[in-house]
Amino acid sequence: MTIGRDDVLRVAELAELDVPARDVDGLVAQIGRIVDYVAQLNDVPASETAEPFQAGPDEVRLREDTPGSVPLAHGIERFAPEFRDGLFLVPRLGAMEGE
Amino acid sequence: MTAGTDTAALAGRLRAADERGLNATLSWSEGTLEAEAARIDALRASGAALPLDGMPVALKDNIVTTDAPTTCASRILEGYRSPYDATVVTRLRDAGALIAAKANLDEFAMGSSTEHSAFGRVQHPTHPDRVPGGSSGGSAALVAAGVVPAALGSETGGSVRQPASFCGIVGVKPTYGRVSRYGLVAFGSSLDCVSVFGRTVEDAARVLSVIAAPDPLDATTVEAPPLAPEPVPGTLSGLRIGLPAEYFPADLDAGVKAGVDQAAAALRALGAELVPVSLPHTAFAVPTYYVLAPAEAASNLARYDGVRYGVRRVGPAGNLPALYRATRGEGFGPEVRRRILVGTYVLSAGYYDAYYQKAQQVRNLIAADFTRAFAPGGVDLLLTPTTPSPAFRAGEKTDDPVAMYLADIFVCAVSLAGLPAMSIPAGLSEGLPVGAQLIAPAFGEARMLAVAGAVEAALGPAREVR
Repeated sequence: MTIGRDDVLRVAELAELDVPARDVDGLVAQIGRIVDYVAQLNDVPASETAEPFQAGPDEVRLREDTPGSVPLAHGIERFAPEFRDGLFLVPRLGAMEGE
Repeated sequence: MTAGTDTAALAGRLRAADERGLNATLSWSEGTLEAEAARIDALRASGAALPLDGMPVALKDNIVTTDAPTTCASRILEGYRSPYDATVVTRLRDAGALIAAKANLDEFAMGSSTEHSAFGRVQHPTHPDRVPGGSSGGSAALVAAGVVPAALGSETGGSVRQPASFCGIVGVKPTYGRVSRYGLVAFGSSLDCVSVFGRTVEDAARVLSVIAAPDPLDATTVEAPPLAPEPVPGTLSGLRIGLPAEYFPADLDAGVKAGVDQAAAALRALGAELVPVSLPHTAFAVPTYYVLAPAEAASNLARYDGVRYGVRRVGPAGNLPALYRATRGEGFGPEVRRRILVGTYVLSAGYYDAYYQKAQQVRNLIAADFTRAFAPGGVDLLLTPTTPSPAFRAGEKTDDPVAMYLADIFVCAVSLAGLPAMSIPAGLSEGLPVGAQLIAPAFGEARMLAVAGAVEAALGPAREVR
């Protein structure tokens, strides 16, 4: 499997991650090396119908589905980049810029 | 002696470690130590049972606390202060432990050398040009340097056992579900375990006993009987210990092999029977891990978007997508960025079945290998090397991610299977510590710790094994 610049840029877009142009060639080489390495899994005979691995207990205990507040030592506004009147503030969505 | 008088000496050790350039701490203060000591003194006055009375414990800085920043060694969380304490922190404090410091780590626990911290690499405690292992390298270095007797780290794929081996201390990973992850910053949710470092098996066992319990705030914790440390047995007669052939390749470092041979000889002398076993899918553990862990990381780290936590950057377009991309692009370091990209790739349309689904199937095969080994008539424990070599030189593997990943070749499979395991010191190779790994069936920590205690007592102080 060969990874190219387009693959890296496409995945970066999916991951919502800016990749500086100077880093792209290095990432192409590194991710290509990793993907080639993990491709050896294709050599393992494994049933395609095998159940995915389930970590942890067989039966997960669920909490009561009742709303409640978790006691916090301080409010969200202390660590949110921009917060006002109970709301996180963000820039406009690109799709709404013409409105 | 009160906790208050202990804090002066502890502060001196922390300061000395910082001044010598160990770079193992990310935050601590004399004020916080004094507050901790006052809290412990109040507990003592109340007559509460304190199994860790006054014991200083460092925390890997991906375990949240309200009284100190939690950075995960990442610029993206710089200055973040959690509004709640992790369950393990509450349990340590209720048991009388003194939270000493937040320890440096590979960013978001992604790494095997603690060279991938946004706040600089951690030095090996005795060989400054070498790495302490990772990702819990700061916690390991603080214990190995004698600053604290115990520390918490976290394991996703060996991040406590591997640095314990490199630094010559004890590192214990519990069964998945034994210890609450409430307040452990998520990396790979099907793998993450809060884990323990100790100078001795007893110190590690005491700390693990305190934090191991079900937690209503973590649905993956299991209703298991409390973990009660067992006395170190005088004989191991009747115990069967497996030596998996796949963990002793021909190119295994001679010093590491000599150390594990020494541990095996000690077990045999104590009466244990050592038997050869096979775990045939071992070679696929690292590639399986490096599909699944990045996939889970790509999902878990999607929450760092510049809206709710930490730093914010807005790209030239000035809109919301530009905020996401700039914040994440500038906030994450190279290793985290690389793993998010790999994880997104293996989860993307057209590649999901070939990589992620296949890795899940191979993970089942790896877990089944252990199930067969521990089945009735099989073995009680497994003995292996913890790492393929002693601590490597700083910078030696940073340009080749796959070479770095292979440092975890003997610790990954256990994480994928969700089993308990631990690394114990097994001597020195040209002055560098080497470790032996004991692996137990699920919830077999008590016997594993008791056997480790017997080996520790038999081996005595670390000495050259080559």
